[in-house]
Amino acid sequence: MDLAIRNGRIVERVDEKKAEVIDASGMLVMPGGVDIHCHIAGAEVNSGRLLRPEDHFRDVEVKTAVTRSGVGYSIPSTFTTGYRYARMGYTTVMNPSMPPLEARHTHEELDDTPMVDKATYPLLGDWWFVLEHLRDGQIEECAAHVAWMMSATKGYAIKIVNPGGLEAWGFGRNVKNLDDSVPYFNVTPREIVRGLCKVNKLLNMPHTIHVHTNNLGKPGNYITALETMKCVEDLAEGKRPVIHITHCQFCAFKGSDWQTMSSGAEEIAKYVNHHDHVTLDMGQVIFTDTTTMTADGPFQYGLYNLTGNKWVNHDVETETSSGIVPFRYKRKSAVHATQWSIGLELALLIKDPWKIYMTTDHPNGGPFTAYPNIIAWLMSRVARKKTLGKISKRARRKSLLPSIDRELSFYEIAVVTRAGQAKALNLTQKGHLGVGADADIAVYGINPEQIDPSKKYKTVRRAFRRAAYTIKDGEIVVKNGQIVKSVFGKTFWVDVKTSLPMEVNDDLKQKFREYWTVEYENYPIPDRFLHFPAPIPVKAEV
Amino acid sequence: MITLSPKHIFKVPVEAECISPDVFAEKSTKEIAMLQIWEGNRKRTIGDFFKIKHGTDSSSEEITIRISGDVGKVRRIGAGMSIGEIIIDGDIGMHLGEEMEGGIITVAGNAGSWVGSMMKNGTIEVKGNAGDYVGAAYRGSTRGMGGGTVIVHGNAGNEVGCFMRGGLIKVYGSVGEFVGIHMRKGTIFVQGNSEGRAGAEMTGGKIVVCGWVPSIVPTFTIDSIRPKVKINEETITGPFYMFFGDLAEDGNGRLYVSQTQNPHLAFYEKYL
Amino acid sequence: MVPVISGVTCPVCGSFCDDIELVVKNNAITDVKNACAVGVAKFLNYTNHRHVIPLIRKNGELVETSLDEAVRKSAEILVDATYPILYGWSSTSCEAIRVGLELAEEVGGVIDNTSTICHGPSILSIQDIGISSCTLGQLRHRADIVIYWGSNPWSAHPRHIERYTAFSTGRFQATAWRGYLSRLGAILTKKRLMRAVNLVLRRDVSAPPGIDRRLPYSLFRKGRKMIVVDVRRTRSAELADYFLQVEPNSDYELLQAFRMLIRDEELDVDEVAGVPVEILEEVADIMIGCELGILFFGLGLTMTKGKLRNIDAALSLVRDLNQRTKFLIMPMRGHFNVTGANVVFTWQTGYPYAVDFSQGFPRYNPGETSMIDILCRGESDAGLIIASDPVAHFPREAAQNLVKNPLIVIDPEVTPTSLMADVVIPSAFVGIEVEGTAYRMDHVPLPLKKVVEPPENCLSDVEILQRILREARRIRRRYN
Repeated sequence: MDLAIRNGRIVERVDEKKAEVIDASGMLVMPGGVDIHCHIAGAEVNSGRLLRPEDHFRDVEVKTAVTRSGVGYSIPSTFTTGYRYARMGYTTVMNPSMPPLEARHTHEELDDTPMVDKATYPLLGDWWFVLEHLRDGQIEECAAHVAWMMSATKGYAIKIVNPGGLEAWGFGRNVKNLDDSVPYFNVTPREIVRGLCKVNKLLNMPHTIHVHTNNLGKPGNYITALETMKCVEDLAEGKRPVIHITHCQFCAFKGSDWQTMSSGAEEIAKYVNHHDHVTLDMGQVIFTDTTTMTADGPFQYGLYNLTGNKWVNHDVETETSSGIVPFRYKRKSAVHATQWSIGLELALLIKDPWKIYMTTDHPNGGPFTAYPNIIAWLMSRVARKKTLGKISKRARRKSLLPSIDRELSFYEIAVVTRAGQAKALNLTQKGHLGVGADADIAVYGINPEQIDPSKKYKTVRRAFRRAAYTIKDGEIVVKNGQIVKSVFGKTFWVDVKTSLPMEVNDDLKQKFREYWTVEYENYPIPDRFLHFPAPIPVKAEV
Repeated sequence: MITLSPKHIFKVPVEAECISPDVFAEKSTKEIAMLQIWEGNRKRTIGDFFKIKHGTDSSSEEITIRISGDVGKVRRIGAGMSIGEIIIDGDIGMHLGEEMEGGIITVAGNAGSWVGSMMKNGTIEVKGNAGDYVGAAYRGSTRGMGGGTVIVHGNAGNEVGCFMRGGLIKVYGSVGEFVGIHMRKGTIFVQGNSEGRAGAEMTGGKIVVCGWVPSIVPTFTIDSIRPKVKINEETITGPFYMFFGDLAEDGNGRLYVSQTQNPHLAFYEKYL
Repeated sequence: MVPVISGVTCPVCGSFCDDIELVVKNNAITDVKNACAVGVAKFLNYTNHRHVIPLIRKNGELVETSLDEAVRKSAEILVDATYPILYGWSSTSCEAIRVGLELAEEVGGVIDNTSTICHGPSILSIQDIGISSCTLGQLRHRADIVIYWGSNPWSAHPRHIERYTAFSTGRFQATAWRGYLSRLGAILTKKRLMRAVNLVLRRDVSAPPGIDRRLPYSLFRKGRKMIVVDVRRTRSAELADYFLQVEPNSDYELLQAFRMLIRDEELDVDEVAGVPVEILEEVADIMIGCELGILFFGLGLTMTKGKLRNIDAALSLVRDLNQRTKFLIMPMRGHFNVTGANVVFTWQTGYPYAVDFSQGFPRYNPGETSMIDILCRGESDAGLIIASDPVAHFPREAAQNLVKNPLIVIDPEVTPTSLMADVVIPSAFVGIEVEGTAYRMDHVPLPLKKVVEPPENCLSDVEILQRILREARRIRRRYN
């Protein structure tokens, strides 16, 4: 079948005589890749870049006539980030962690990230306004303020990280479970998750709440993950998801300490297989030297204590926190190898590929340039077996992978690397090749009808590393893994229209001065600040 | 033996990583002349800057490169080399023998900073002075020199052996501040004086200073007085105050400081 | 109705206050509210000593020229150079810095900002140790121990203490201003009494009083407390609850010693940096016993003996303190956008300053690729200076080598550097005549406002750099 493109969109047909023709026969054609969760821009990412010159100097990109220079490895500079995504056929990426006070920074960096469309999620789970309104049961007030915040920061979705824990970290503490009250605020993580889930519905946000659970990285935390999913079960309507649990591998640990740590993937998969209100992404681990960075301040401090590596912490007033620690995942470490197994177990045990998406929580589990490796593992039992043979014996014994025969098909890979993510994000013009879609297309030099990915996983890996063609908004930007044209994508943000806009009066301005150290008028990002804004208007129920 | 003589004085930095026995092995004079080097932001060739005289030997095991003339601005000579010998008749620039894995480099004059940084094996001998960061790690990295030997007959600068994790550095002159900072393993020997803060934040390894030090970092604790100390096979006669540290890092490094040259440290003896 | 522009950010220091109010009449600022003396001075006097016409050096003299000619000559100088340097950047907007990086990459030069002579050492140590930090509001809300070490905010960042720390009020902590006033009253009374007593008893008062190191009662009560650590009694020290005077060039030893004392471990020595260990143990107790502590530091640590390792020890101390309580650390950044310069450099190149593009990709090695070092070694052959005045501030050898080579200066003001330049391009004042973005010392990005129109010939730094970049590309295409 043929695809016709005009003016950046897929259309019914074009005049073949006048069109540029790309012969993709014998090749795999997919919508451009969509990455629902990758830390590529903003304060936390940039602190990571600054922290690690030793991560950069061996992985450089020389300036060409078409591209700017840059560096990798686990935290590439912005131009390099865009180019490397495009070379793999990706065209849309989501930056999942934006401290609202520093939103300008995130957007400045996104504007300097070429080749891809993007969006970003403001961190709202520990925002004082949210904590206070939810403590007082004022869901509609909370919704009005969240709507204002989404426009002020040009955000796309409500991001929640270790709800309640980040505020507790302001004084060096943490929360222990969903019902542990946040010091000084008298509200629990459960109330925060439920409250924001209700707010999300009231605002008709395109994506669900995007949640990094409490107790991340702690043995036994799969219980917290399940409880978090359960706590909004009653808020689901029909088959539509109401919560997205991100980088689920990191919250799927069984056991009571590092000695007894094992996989909780089976329990989580069982739950997800029987419930339709949840979506997940993997957070797959790669055996490499990478950098962990999340808004979960206390968790990152814990990682420093575990490894003794250098540690960056950045608490943001009134709102959130963040932490960065370099980390090496070793094959021979029983814990790391188990983590590697957990990510794949989740993807293979959850039957519906529309519920679990492929990510590494870049760069936490590994750099996004390792995606082709994950695709190979998902599609080939042999590939998994090969890696299993090299990992810690203890982990191999505990791993469920040897008993899992399932191998994802090319169609399922398309779902977990693009279609599913686009659907979860409600980006109706992405992740598919139907008429009306954005002409974001990836062509891979592999013939799905001739190659058996189960055996030829190395060929699969190679093909996904270097797209034969990447087309962005109808223009060929990559050929044979080389950037041939530099373009800049759009930044999506959700323009929530409430029936009564939040009143900006002297009281609010005074509250601003009490809560933050910036004036009210300097907080919101003006529309003209973004270089390529693409607002998505949404009508709220409040 | 291949001899390179610079044709003129260099002003902007010149980077000549290709001047290495590994790269020159089995290449003709013409091929060597075509090797690329950087002069600032311009790509040049060895032939642009050096007169090349090719000796008669061609066995790659005995490749010797001799550089005669002022190469004080030429950087990264011998970087990554693993075989052969480089002899420099004058001064040499930064990053000499960086990450080298074997072979020998000898410098008749002074060397710039970062001599033998991140080296894994091999020997570098500087007859004159060396700059800062001898055997050090790259910024942000904890992987400094891991093996091999660096000998400096003159003085060396600050932070000698920063993040060192193996090998031997010997300075017959004096060193600046922070010799052995963040050291993990390995040995540093200083015959002359140290400007201060020797062994700061070390977690392992051995530092011997035969000369004067202004003070000892307060997070070190005196262990004993040693009559002598061993540097690989060599025995150095003391007596030395031996300190353990850096306790702020829970470190197990050993710092030997001459007793006779440092009478102002005598107050430590009351703790013995 | 007098037109008042509110919420203006002050383009002077790293405090980057954003509550300034300006009165503008006939395209001139006539009144400034809320700013400190330094801010007021800039807003009211920035138009003195400014360039308005581009200049070019002909036969040894600077003569007026057109903007096009100045741009053309600048581009030529940069493209012809084998190792050009582009320096400054800390007093202009992020938007301009982005273009500057593109220009440096295009001409294969070395680009560096003022961190290199200021908090560069801090950055180097952050790259080894990491940093436990926050935004300033966290401190206003939560900090009960505020330490300024080797930094004198009362003079250099005048509103810092009242806006963000000891004399500010937050959710969990109130201002210590009243406590300070009563302390001040007590101190002044005591001084008067002592003067009277000395007169009566005819005591010799020519010898300086001995240092009283005892910790005052106020350090042990609840509420905010400020400690200043310095080698001399600065104006900030006068405000503090406790002033710890230390011997010059011993801060490294002192910080390391604290690392052990906060772990309740003992030292082999009786005093460090001239301070008895018993006193240090008490100070360590104060640090451990706080709810949230903050250590600010300035050039007293970055530019004294030990340099980056002083910061290494400070960062390590604060990190270690987190085992006992919540503790944070922050460098007192000088220029209002030096943090922004670091931020933009890092996202585009991976490195915060001293970035060398000569081989077509970013390389970073302070000491090798940093401005002072390159200049002292006489390695560059052309220079572009923007938003900075190196001839006034650099070591003489560096300044001499800078002006020996073709020199382009982009600056609104006449400076010693612009007087020595070969091309001078006058620009508009960022934050007054041009809008943009800048980053406060705690990495919070805020908008720079435009409140008046610039003079006709004065374009923004962004536009000037874009023109030079376009021209440089044209020239290089011609060569190819």
